[in-house]
Amino acid sequence: MTVLLEARGVSKRFGGLTALNSVDFELEEGRIASIIGPNGAGKTTFFNVFTGIYVPEEGTVAFRGIPLLGRRPDQITALGVCRTFQNIRLFGNMTAVENVLVGMHCRVRLKLWDVLTRNPRWQREEQVLWDRAGELLSVVGLRGKANELARNLPYGDQRRLEIGRALGSGPSLLLLDEPTAGMTQGEARTLMELLRRLVGEMSLTVLLIEHNMRVVMEVSDRVTVLDYGEKIAEGRPTDVQKNPQVIEAYLGRRKWIPATETPHA
Amino acid sequence: MDFELLIGIFPQVLLDGLVLGFMYALIALGYTMVYGVLEFINFAHSEIFVVGAFVGVEVLLTLKAVGWLDALSPFLVLLVVLLLGMLASGLLAVTVERVAYRPLRGTPRLIPLISAIGVSFFLQDAVRLFESIWRNAFNLVYPTMDTLNIRFSLTETIDISVKSLVVIVASLLMLWGLHTLVNRTKIGKAIRAVAEDQAAASLMGISVNRMISLTFLIGGAMGGAAGVLFGVQYSLVNPYTGFIPGLKAFTAAVLGGIGNIPGAMLGGLVLGLLEAFAASYLSLLTGGAFGAEYKDIFAFSILILILIFRPKGILGEVVRERA
Amino acid sequence: MIRRILDHPVWATVLVGALLAVTFYGVSRFPRSIVVFMLFQCSILLLYFARMPGWLKGLLTVGTLAVLMPVLGSINGYYLEIAIQIGIFVALALGLNIVVGLAGLLDLGYVAFFAVGAYSWAIFGSPQANLIFGGSFFPLPQGWFFIFLLVAVAATAITGLLLGLPVLRLHGDYLAIVTLGFGEVIRVLANNLDKPINFTNGPKGITPISRPPIFFEPVLRALGIDPNPNVVYPLYLYFLVLVIVGVTVLVNRRVENSHIGRAWEAIREDQTAAIAMGVPMVRMKLLAFACGASFAGAVGVLFSAKQVFINPESFTFMESIGVLAMVILGGMGSIPGAILGATVVTVLNLQVLKGLSLWLNELRNAGIEILGYNLANLPTQLEPAKYERMVFGLILVLMMIFRPQGILPARRRQRELGEG
Repeated sequence: MTVLLEARGVSKRFGGLTALNSVDFELEEGRIASIIGPNGAGKTTFFNVFTGIYVPEEGTVAFRGIPLLGRRPDQITALGVCRTFQNIRLFGNMTAVENVLVGMHCRVRLKLWDVLTRNPRWQREEQVLWDRAGELLSVVGLRGKANELARNLPYGDQRRLEIGRALGSGPSLLLLDEPTAGMTQGEARTLMELLRRLVGEMSLTVLLIEHNMRVVMEVSDRVTVLDYGEKIAEGRPTDVQKNPQVIEAYLGRRKWIPATETPHA
Repeated sequence: MDFELLIGIFPQVLLDGLVLGFMYALIALGYTMVYGVLEFINFAHSEIFVVGAFVGVEVLLTLKAVGWLDALSPFLVLLVVLLLGMLASGLLAVTVERVAYRPLRGTPRLIPLISAIGVSFFLQDAVRLFESIWRNAFNLVYPTMDTLNIRFSLTETIDISVKSLVVIVASLLMLWGLHTLVNRTKIGKAIRAVAEDQAAASLMGISVNRMISLTFLIGGAMGGAAGVLFGVQYSLVNPYTGFIPGLKAFTAAVLGGIGNIPGAMLGGLVLGLLEAFAASYLSLLTGGAFGAEYKDIFAFSILILILIFRPKGILGEVVRERA
Repeated sequence: MIRRILDHPVWATVLVGALLAVTFYGVSRFPRSIVVFMLFQCSILLLYFARMPGWLKGLLTVGTLAVLMPVLGSINGYYLEIAIQIGIFVALALGLNIVVGLAGLLDLGYVAFFAVGAYSWAIFGSPQANLIFGGSFFPLPQGWFFIFLLVAVAATAITGLLLGLPVLRLHGDYLAIVTLGFGEVIRVLANNLDKPINFTNGPKGITPISRPPIFFEPVLRALGIDPNPNVVYPLYLYFLVLVIVGVTVLVNRRVENSHIGRAWEAIREDQTAAIAMGVPMVRMKLLAFACGASFAGAVGVLFSAKQVFINPESFTFMESIGVLAMVILGGMGSIPGAILGATVVTVLNLQVLKGLSLWLNELRNAGIEILGYNLANLPTQLEPAKYERMVFGLILVLMMIFRPQGILPARRRQRELGEG
């Protein structure tokens, strides 16, 4: 299994605050992995480092062996890494299909000349774009709402549209920041099935930031735990779950010994 | 290259630069105070400055018409005119804020900026309209007050007119007054609180709206004072003369660090000196190829360069872009 | 009620057709009446709102602009002049619309591109270039006018790129101020580049500037029409303006409905998200700048040729704000909005304000008394025609407060995804 994403000794500081402290991370191709940790642990900061929004003070990040540091976010997207945001950041006044089309921008091979003359090449490519956008909408289950304004979509649909839009750039690695936030368990389940399908059918690798433990345990091949900017545990979901440091990070120091097995999954 | 000449005119140029600089500083204060509180460029400030100048000229012309101008002490007259100009400009600034900016609070930043540009243009022609009807002329000249025009020599090569002295003294007094107000009074503290964090300030019981109005009042008054002094110094005013000095004063505010009051003062002085030197030396240094006409480009180029390379200015802090 | 009539194809056609015919007749009967001419212009406006088959609307539009208007222009040359001015400002507004409306960049120095285009032809299409290069090779033959349309497009696009590169990283207000500064720099340069080498002839301006050749002269003669330049040129320039505006509208629409237009809208909505989705922000913004600038360059050349004389007075900050007011009045990002805005503002300045001036003068001369005040005493300095800034200022403030989306807001989507 090739290593798709690799981070070594990444540190990020904001003035006096150390958001990430020398974190190592590896993600193998074809996996679904999760990053978890209490609020403020540095998870989104980690994503921002991967996608070029933040430049770390120390450390390296590489995708398929290509160093990512110093590249702009749009360049990183063109390489095949795409992300969603913790707070939904859709283009509200554009329709669902247009949002996806924008996501596809880095794959468009048309030149200004083609646009101005609307030559056959433009017409063909545009049709291909629209068809592909329609397909992606079907994949995330929004085909029927393609021409609705993004801001008018219900919350769950907006989350899925964000994923659809991210898929537009044809990524190999999808970074999802709390994709199930605000969803019911049923909706979250459906989303996870979607992710599994994506990994299987579109040879994607998915990295999640999640707070919903059920989701994390069910769908992840591998879980990494951050707390105060440091990696405190990593491994299979069941192993991480039992790690006393992890439990302490979430729930604080306890006076009683917890059970070693959770009652049921 | 006549070095003796170059060095010889240096002190005079320095002095002229200071006078100019103080005026820019006064105008720049209006821009910087409003920006500090609202993060908004009050484009119309250049017209608030001009209105001060016009109030000044109208009062003086009226006094002259009734024969009082020569009878009273010029310094008393100037003081009265200055206060009236400050009052008029201050009130105008508060009105403009109420009418054209307050309804737009909370909208994307470009919207109030466009509104401000609109106010600026409107005021230019509004002054023209008023003066066309009132006096059938809008290019007005400040009546001469002989005492003010007396030049006396400081040294062999430098001389200064009384009116320039007046400009310097008045500016210093006002800068000092503003500094005291902002840093040593309760109201000043309230203004600074609103500038830091509006939400927190209102939670502390400060009326944000009132502080904003007050900021406009004070900034406008500074601009109005600068207008009167401008009229006294340069004599000629028309409704459109605010634009260029306004733009330069804004440059000064940015140069010193927008939102920062000492920065505005510093920026004004620096810009005034730079401009005076450009005006005097540019022609001499380039053998007449580029003369004093280019001093405006000089100021604009400084503006462009700072905004590109060091937008926080000399004394300013970096405004962090929200991710 | 008018709305309902306009929605009904048959009645709309009847109404608009009738209005056009009536007002057309009215103008030909009363060529001096500004009011009647404005009614004619309003009829054309109604044509836009009428719902009728596309081919019919196109036919009527072409017919009105290509036949009715020139005829009226032959009756009263002033109307043709107004139409040409409107056309020039429509092209400028469409150009600025790309920068401000589509890409969301507040450019306060747009007139600089207009100046670059205008001066490029002015210098080489007049003896001015001889002062720069020596000899008497210039002005270039008239036919070069058409080549210079393209030269200006290239020159202004490059200028736009040069300006944009350092500046586009700045946010909103700072970008606005820097572009304002740039516009002023260009104006001062135009005013002062008459020494050491005389590029622009400073405030004295450049004249005479060549006009495009009347290449269709043989056709005119064959039709028995006497090709008198004084008669031909106004109509010739009018049609040239129509063509340029037509091309501008075409380019605008094509770019708007493409991946480029979508990228611009995304940047406008949420810049960070757009970049994260792979949109190269700086490149897209530069493209918007260069595109918008090139329109100004092309009409600049036309402007030079039409005026035969240009000087820096035509390229001030006021013109930049004027074009901005047109875009905002009509609706940012909206092509019909830009056209409407440019037309309304130009009409306000050229017809309404000037008409007020003339009317006031007549009142003064007539010496009527109202409430004991003899109107002959109206201050002579009071000249409504000069109050363009007040018009621009009011438009900007009122629109921002009451209708920031403009009169004809950008109408959404042209293309939709069909059923799967």
